[in-house]
Amino acid sequence: MSGCGAVVGGVSLDNIDITTQAVIQGVVTSGDAPASVGYARLLDRNDEFVAEVPISKQGEFRFFTVAGNWTIVALIPGATSRTQVKATLGNVLDVDISLSK
Amino acid sequence: MSNQALVDAEWALSHLDDPKVVFIEVDEDTEAYGGNHIKNAIALNWKTDLQDPIRRDFVNKDQFEALLSAKGVSNDDTVVLYGGNNNWFAAYAYWYFKLYGHGDVRLLDGGRKKWELDGRELVSEVPSRTATKYSAKEQDLSIRAFRDDVLKAIGTQNLVDVRSPDEYAGRLLAPAHLPQEAARIGGHIPTAANIPWSKAANDDGSFKSIDELTALYEGAGVDLTKDTIAYCRIGERSAHSWFVLHELLGVKNVSNYDGSWTEYGSLVGVPVAVGDEPGTA
Repeated sequence: MSGCGAVVGGVSLDNIDITTQAVIQGVVTSGDAPASVGYARLLDRNDEFVAEVPISKQGEFRFFTVAGNWTIVALIPGATSRTQVKATLGNVLDVDISLSK
Repeated sequence: MSNQALVDAEWALSHLDDPKVVFIEVDEDTEAYGGNHIKNAIALNWKTDLQDPIRRDFVNKDQFEALLSAKGVSNDDTVVLYGGNNNWFAAYAYWYFKLYGHGDVRLLDGGRKKWELDGRELVSEVPSRTATKYSAKEQDLSIRAFRDDVLKAIGTQNLVDVRSPDEYAGRLLAPAHLPQEAARIGGHIPTAANIPWSKAANDDGSFKSIDELTALYEGAGVDLTKDTIAYCRIGERSAHSWFVLHELLGVKNVSNYDGSWTEYGSLVGVPVAVGDEPGTA
């Protein structure tokens, strides 16, 4: 049984049948460089917490969800941002988030 | 927030070199600890250290004693747990230490996330601790619920489903940082209230104030004079809510159903509710 723990940057797409997933992924940058410390949080259409992953050293994050409207909150030391997205089943949505401290 | 069970970063910083205070990081992702961690902290893996390798159950008393002895934890040590995922697995380990009767166990408010976001120091050096002879107590089953307890509680006692609303309703089968590939059915235990664990936490992973936490449960209409069973998917997010109710709010008749939805949602013949409403008994 797998746990609910969040893999840094999100679970790999390898061996995942993405036709059954609505994938939201991206990179968080701070200034001109990827943010190396921080978190990406997924909120549902009612602003309720759904999931959160630590971003990778390259600022990457990934969520597997269902079709719909979602909000990504990026948290890095000293800055936060909110980005609204619409995910669709069977597709990988790339969302790049730029933060300035 | 002033509570014996919860310590903040300032308290932690003043005890990092205290030989009788053992900081323990608990993550599913053991690479997190391997990369860096709070100075002098050791690590426990919630699965390989705390779960039986074959059966779905905890390690037994003898195994727990052997584990903590090898890790160099003494019965009279103050154990301070922290971890990622907003302290989900650290709260789970906290509940686990309480289950086996450890005397002084505490949780670092906000865990690894708040520590990182506050820009505090993390180190890569792994401390060495001298092995001990740890003695555990028998499990305190007043804080652990099993499936039969849950079935009896439907419509009579409080059931609190702390997963996200979409998991509660059956629209998602797992948190969205995991592929939605689980084969079990979706939904929740009938009559369970949905009070997501996240409502008890600030964005940085620290707990909300006692007044806010009290209002959260009162506002959800949960009669805390009744017995309460919290559950989630595998019992770690509900350990977080158990910590809020039992340790921060002082509600004593609260237990954690660690079988949670992965067990209940796979049982044959039990009632299941889907959608946003609790459903009926």
